Amino acid sequence: MVKKMIDFTEEQLERYSRHILLADVGVEGQIRLSSARVLIIGAGGLGAPVALYLAAAGVGTIGIVDNDIVEVSNLQRQVCHFHNNIGKAKVESAREKMKAINPDITVIPLEKYLVADNIREIIRDYDFVVEGSDNFPTKFLVNDACVMESIPFSIGGILRFDGQAMTIVPGESACYRCAFRNPPPPDAVPSCSEAGVLGAIAGMLGTIQAAETLKFITGAGSLLTDTLLSFDAKNMDFHKVRLQRQDDCAICGKEPSIRTLVDYEQTTCGI
Amino acid sequence: MHITVNGENKEFDTSSLPITTLLEVAKVESPDMVSVQVNGKVIDRTLYADTLLRDNDEVDFLYFMGGGA
Amino acid sequence: MSTITTDASRDCRNVGCPMNMVYTKVELAKLSPGQVLEVILDDGPPINNVPKSVVLEGHAILEKSRCDDGTWRILIRCGKK
Repeated sequence: MVKKMIDFTEEQLERYSRHILLADVGVEGQIRLSSARVLIIGAGGLGAPVALYLAAAGVGTIGIVDNDIVEVSNLQRQVCHFHNNIGKAKVESAREKMKAINPDITVIPLEKYLVADNIREIIRDYDFVVEGSDNFPTKFLVNDACVMESIPFSIGGILRFDGQAMTIVPGESACYRCAFRNPPPPDAVPSCSEAGVLGAIAGMLGTIQAAETLKFITGAGSLLTDTLLSFDAKNMDFHKVRLQRQDDCAICGKEPSIRTLVDYEQTTCGI
Repeated sequence: MHITVNGENKEFDTSSLPITTLLEVAKVESPDMVSVQVNGKVIDRTLYADTLLRDNDEVDFLYFMGGGA
Repeated sequence: MSTITTDASRDCRNVGCPMNMVYTKVELAKLSPGQVLEVILDDGPPINNVPKSVVLEGHAILEKSRCDDGTWRILIRCGKK
């Protein structure tokens, strides 16, 4: 079954030895990782650790979308960007580090904004999407587009000392809209002064999303489907809420009212 | 009556309670930034005042977190 | 010597833990359930660890014998996939 596909070099066997040793990953799982295609949305606080861990794990093709350039204020948490990258496109900075960790992988930098007009075409090339943007319009857009295209994805959010993540397999599990319905009113979204984040929180949540991605690809364990995982790092409390698909969900319900994608109004600054 | 909120047991001296009141009692700072699930059903935000919680309801607050950069 | 026919063989002499287990898993992944893999392992941690790990992953050790040079020869029947 995997006979013809085993062509790892000696170096790759060493590189991936800790995966291959896992009973739930093994040679077969590593082959799946090598042939997988994952799209990371946002090369920021969440996207940075996701990019580094997926590259290290040997995910064969990784697309990464972001339209920003590296600024000094990013460096407190966006660990794939270095001081000497200030002014550089984030996707290019991320690509350099990913290839430096693992030259075997292919990285596709996409320096652009994701909008209703281009998202479906972009995500269609991938097996799994990791949503790590900094705003609700993008989170809802990604949810709706992935549901429409039936592409599984992980969606995450962080704020101050808190983080949350869920994994969605369209058609099978509750989507982001099942849990949150609509973006919050723009004036309720925390303003910049209230919207700090402890740098390591981005790493905690990003690595949860990276782990979900690797689990999805290899089939190991059970995913955060129909589940919202939240944590409060001040007390290191982790909490899971069980979710279920909502019959009246506007995108994945019985009679979806959303037929075409729309761009919600962008609010406040990125968190 | 008895309500479970995010897995914790709460007692109330009333037989029904609107979601808006529970949000106040629970000191939720920004009710617009919370999605409320009652017995597995996510309630439309416009219906919080009209949705009455009953004895033994299981309520979950799902907080909006938009950050990621 | 045993009379069991082997379908594949891997010499893991001078290969430490855990790479010896990695090579063993690679060989097992190429086999079908029921086929037999021969692995040569060093004395010490390798012979103490690899057979145990192989069993934990659902394969069976058919034979374990000491070679003249002090290394070990094990025969593994490939189990579940």
